[in-house]
Amino acid sequence: MSLLAISEQAINGLIIGSFYALTALGLAVIFGVLRIVNFAHGELYMLGGYAYYLAIASLGIPPLAAILIAVAALFVIGAAIEGLLIRPIHTGKIDRPDEYAIMITFALSVFLLNLANSVFGPWPQRPEPLMRGRVEIGELIISGDRLAAASAAIVMIAIVVFALRYTWAGKAVRAVSQDRQAAEIYGISVQRAGLIAFGTGAALAGLAGALIGPVFNVVPIMGVVPVIKAYIIVVLGGLGSIPGAIIGAIILGQVESFATILIPDPSRALAYKDAYGLIVLVAVLLLRPQGLFGTKDRRA
Amino acid sequence: MSQAALRSIIGAALLVAFVLLPFAGLSDYWTYTVTIGFYYALLAASWSLLVGYVGRISFAQAAMSGLGGYASALGVLEFGLPIGLGLVFAALIAGLVGYVLGWLTLRLHGAYLGLTTIAFGEILRISVTAEHWLTEGSLGLQVPPLIPGGSRLEYYYIFLAITVGCLAAMGLLLRSRIGLFFQSIREDEDGAASLGVAVTTWKCVAFAISSAFAGLAGGLYAHFVQLIAPSMMSLQEMGVILAMAVIGGFHNILYAALGGMLLQVLLEALREVEQWRLVVFGLVTILVLRFAPNGLFGMLSNIFVRRRNSDG
Amino acid sequence: MAEQLVVDRLTKTFGGIVALNGVELAFSAGELIGLIGPNGSGKTTLLNIVSGYYTADRGQITYENQPIAGTSPHKLARIGIGRSFQVTKVFRRLTVMENMLVSGLSDWSETRSQASERATAILEDLKLTRLRDERASNLSGGQLKLLEFARIMMLQPKLLLLDEPFGGVHPELKRFMYDCIRKWNAAGITIILISHDMGSIFELCRRVVTLSYGDIICDGTPEETRADKGVLEAYLGEHHASA
Repeated sequence: MSLLAISEQAINGLIIGSFYALTALGLAVIFGVLRIVNFAHGELYMLGGYAYYLAIASLGIPPLAAILIAVAALFVIGAAIEGLLIRPIHTGKIDRPDEYAIMITFALSVFLLNLANSVFGPWPQRPEPLMRGRVEIGELIISGDRLAAASAAIVMIAIVVFALRYTWAGKAVRAVSQDRQAAEIYGISVQRAGLIAFGTGAALAGLAGALIGPVFNVVPIMGVVPVIKAYIIVVLGGLGSIPGAIIGAIILGQVESFATILIPDPSRALAYKDAYGLIVLVAVLLLRPQGLFGTKDRRA
Repeated sequence: MSQAALRSIIGAALLVAFVLLPFAGLSDYWTYTVTIGFYYALLAASWSLLVGYVGRISFAQAAMSGLGGYASALGVLEFGLPIGLGLVFAALIAGLVGYVLGWLTLRLHGAYLGLTTIAFGEILRISVTAEHWLTEGSLGLQVPPLIPGGSRLEYYYIFLAITVGCLAAMGLLLRSRIGLFFQSIREDEDGAASLGVAVTTWKCVAFAISSAFAGLAGGLYAHFVQLIAPSMMSLQEMGVILAMAVIGGFHNILYAALGGMLLQVLLEALREVEQWRLVVFGLVTILVLRFAPNGLFGMLSNIFVRRRNSDG
Repeated sequence: MAEQLVVDRLTKTFGGIVALNGVELAFSAGELIGLIGPNGSGKTTLLNIVSGYYTADRGQITYENQPIAGTSPHKLARIGIGRSFQVTKVFRRLTVMENMLVSGLSDWSETRSQASERATAILEDLKLTRLRDERASNLSGGQLKLLEFARIMMLQPKLLLLDEPFGGVHPELKRFMYDCIRKWNAAGITIILISHDMGSIFELCRRVVTLSYGDIICDGTPEETRADKGVLEAYLGEHHASA
């Protein structure tokens, strides 16, 4: 394999990895604070894509502003979901909270997916990208829309990591994810942290959807595959671990990018492309359930 | 009249109703629909056996059904098994794979178990799609019919008989000491072990039994519709099964089965509103989970019991 | 008298923390032993290892002349080692009777009618007859403790490990539980009792074992334990003892 091909695959992997990281980061933030896996995460990602598409197509808003609108809209949707469906878990209104959390988010994903199918129709839409054209670095050619989307993703990841570390709200969220009761004793509103976490998680998923929409089309089922990647990543990195989610995403992006060109029978390699990560997920859960960076607690 | 007696009377009435249903002027189309309803009833009940009684969540049930469908079809096509044996083969294969899944996930709980079963189901679905030479991939596999040249009515009664037989077998199992072990594991694994329950074994066995019934259901379905595709193993399909069991009431195999039948019939009855059916089902599932965790039939039976108690 | 339970050089660490440091103990059939020690001294760890919930890093446990280290909890329950938990692990959505039957029917040689007959007698003994068809989730804290006792008795144990049975129990019920423990002990059941409640331990037990940081620091009668300077130090800190 030539150096050019290797760097092409590496950059492809990095671009894909940055989208994965954005989606996975949202899952990790939600899990960290609320101790639940959001099985409707893929549909929030899809809604982000539609919010972006609609803002441009029906309101005539420029792409960059449309991105912000999609993020804000998903934050509100996420906060509403938290307030209506997730909060009862933590206020003792639910008999079997573990089971409820899994089923309610799974049911929510069924609901949202079919809602999008009904409202928007099952056909794909292609919104305007952030940037057109392509970028050439020597012999290496990268399409502009992908590069812009990946850069926006990386900037957003940096902002979230920074905000978690240095802002008051971020510290509150981290405190709650480390010790719910202690955080409460120290006057942090656990409920507000939960709301912020789910809103932020949804906004991150929405942003990912909005950024990828122009690259791979906006369509109701667009979240089904990426969310499974996000599951793999958060399990790989350790559920609830933010650095774990980022590193997991980079690993998965590279694995998938190279796995497809390293396996001899191309058609079969492509068919099994989505299975490699899943095998990794099963293996990690069985051998090291806490992931590469997570805490030891396996009972979520 | 005791509650148990009341329950058997309602069960018997339901059975009679389903036996007589085709004579109530059921069109060919509706006979077909209700027959598919039996498939979903069995599948939803098999899921509730695992989730409702043992407290082990699985998102691989649709994949197990598909596995059974392909196992039976390929057993008949490739090894020349008679169809009856093909169905047994389907149940065995799904049961065996279920046992392995149960064993692999012994130490996992809650969301971790959910994620692992999703991954497991997806790996099965992807493999079936990828192995073209055997399964025809996403084009779908032509499956020989259960009864060559059989009428809709014949299929209806075969499905009814097998569904009732399976539900009775599950009911007997759950009323035996094994059912008690299952529930003790759902309530508290450590507590169950401290009282002598072989928790590890029963967790695996529960996965195996639940999967075997799902595999059998999938096998029957394959030989009825005569064309199966990997989409029957998808997470979307799993969502439908979950909605059926939850809306019916997943803490009771009969309620879950009725939920499967109810949703299948409604899906056909509401064909004009297309995708909105599934939107409504998704919404109802959420509302049931939040406000009526025993499901619609569980809620009905609670209201009924309470009224009788207050009357006398 | 032959020893019923022998714990031989048992060591268990969690990360860098030594929970048990080569503990050696022997108990004869029919003894009623108190196991005390400050928080984190290794009491519950010892109990969890003997009942099969943890595996020791090193050491052996012998029960009725058979090595049992590494045996799973349900098998130990079947051969007569019963245990309770600090936080009751009652099956909340099952009725009191069903809770009892799980324990009886886990022995495949027992029929349902035999089990329910035995359960009825035990419930009567523990004054739970009235609640037999009640869901366990409707029981009070004290009733849950009694139900846990009742379920263990269904196992017909020969060795009973009780972890903090008196936590949150009101005095009247505590008296009743004392009577039960004495009665079972008189019937030949060996009982190892963990409690923070020194009064209970000194009242019930003729032998008290004190653990501190994974070591046995005292093994004697209540009087000897009370007089032991090491025990006092362990509980109150060195500063207080030397003052």
